[in-house]
Amino acid sequence: MKITVERSGGIAALTRVWTVQAVTTSEKSRWQPLVEACPWDAVDDPRQAPDGQPDGQPDRFMYSIRAGQRRATLPETAVTGPWRVLVESTRTAAEESRPGGGEAGFRR
Amino acid sequence: MVCSIVPPYILRRLAAQGSPRFSAVARAAREALLHVGAVHAARTSAPTAPAGIRQLEPSPVNRSVFDAKSGESLPGQVVRKEGDAATGDPAVDEAYDGLGHTHSLYADAFGRNSIDGLGMPLKATVHFGRMYDNAFWDGQQMVFGDGDGEVFERFTRSLSVIGHELAHGVTQFSAGLAYRNQAGAINESVSDVFGALVEQYFRKQTAAEASWLIGEGLFTPQVEGSALRSMKAPGTAYDDDVLGKDPQPDSMDSYVRTRSDNGGVHINSGIPNRAFCLVAQTLGGNAWDAPGQIWYETLTGGSLSTATTFTAFAKATAATAKELFGEESAEHDAVRGAWETVKVKL
Ligand SMILES: [Zn+2]
Repeated sequence: MKITVERSGGIAALTRVWTVQAVTTSEKSRWQPLVEACPWDAVDDPRQAPDGQPDGQPDRFMYSIRAGQRRATLPETAVTGPWRVLVESTRTAAEESRPGGGEAGFRR
Repeated sequence: MVCSIVPPYILRRLAAQGSPRFSAVARAAREALLHVGAVHAARTSAPTAPAGIRQLEPSPVNRSVFDAKSGESLPGQVVRKEGDAATGDPAVDEAYDGLGHTHSLYADAFGRNSIDGLGMPLKATVHFGRMYDNAFWDGQQMVFGDGDGEVFERFTRSLSVIGHELAHGVTQFSAGLAYRNQAGAINESVSDVFGALVEQYFRKQTAAEASWLIGEGLFTPQVEGSALRSMKAPGTAYDDDVLGKDPQPDSMDSYVRTRSDNGGVHINSGIPNRAFCLVAQTLGGNAWDAPGQIWYETLTGGSLSTATTFTAFAKATAATAKELFGEESAEHDAVRGAWETVKVKL
């Protein structure tokens, strides 16, 4: 299972991407519960909001999160609870440079 | 018809005063020309030193800076209040100074009483989050991250960024522009314009001397780039192996259609940014004088729709220039010429 967190927006409007691959059984058993804990079906796409930022705050980040076939887009202020755990875990793992740790970079 | 004891030609002359010392009065005079109500307020005053207009003087700045201590609860612990000595923490002191410089521009150049026009106290929180790569206005206060240290330094380092974020507050309390597509790009551009003006006013730089960069000093030395955006030459602020290249267009010929970034609000803002810079370069002198007055009056004058387009905004700036300075004025010509250069139809 591939997990990707893409963070766009902010005053700099640079898009950062963090990716991890859960390949081995132990990796899968570590990531599966983090993914399952998120309420994927309860999220509306905030990019459909007619007036822009759903939280009404310019220059905040927007997160697009993918895990396997599931995806969700959330404003920064909605990245709480299990979403926050998933995002922070993905970022931390991706930024560790050990083999299989994942990748961190910018979308250009 | 303007009913006033102050004749319109005097208001016009006051409105045309360029010196910073007079700009609050000039601003009030322009306001009076546009809004009959303000003229009534000035009725009892002498034409050259209108006491009624003096009463519109903004109240002194009232700042508080808070420390989130790498957490995310706002506002955090207060660490410096108005009049307190510098703390020695650069983030705290830069935020404190930046709030002050922003308040000064609005008060001195536009006669505006703080961000909401009603003298609201200014609050800022620093050290927000861990390695947080952003600064934002949350609707009530400023918030600054420390940066990750690899791409970004702390966000208080740039005065234009502090001015940019506080301008989102001014927009929120005036035109209320949407944050999507062209209205969103105007919203972003207005923040860059007033962010640049805060910095230029503090540095006492003319339009010719100014860098017209937004966010100078935010990138670490590892990044190939001078700033986040260039108003003078959109698309040239950075070009880096890791970050990629500054994506801003400099005219409608290269307008970017996208669903990301709320419809490219930080991308297409390059077009109106350059228009403002061109007006300022054409007129010369200080950009916070005539060019700033025209943009400020357009933003706060009540004529803009929250879903404005580039063309509607361009027309509104030309109408403001005509109203403030006359149809045959250099200011009106400069505004029309700038929009023509960036290929926005008037
Ligand atoms: Zn902004």
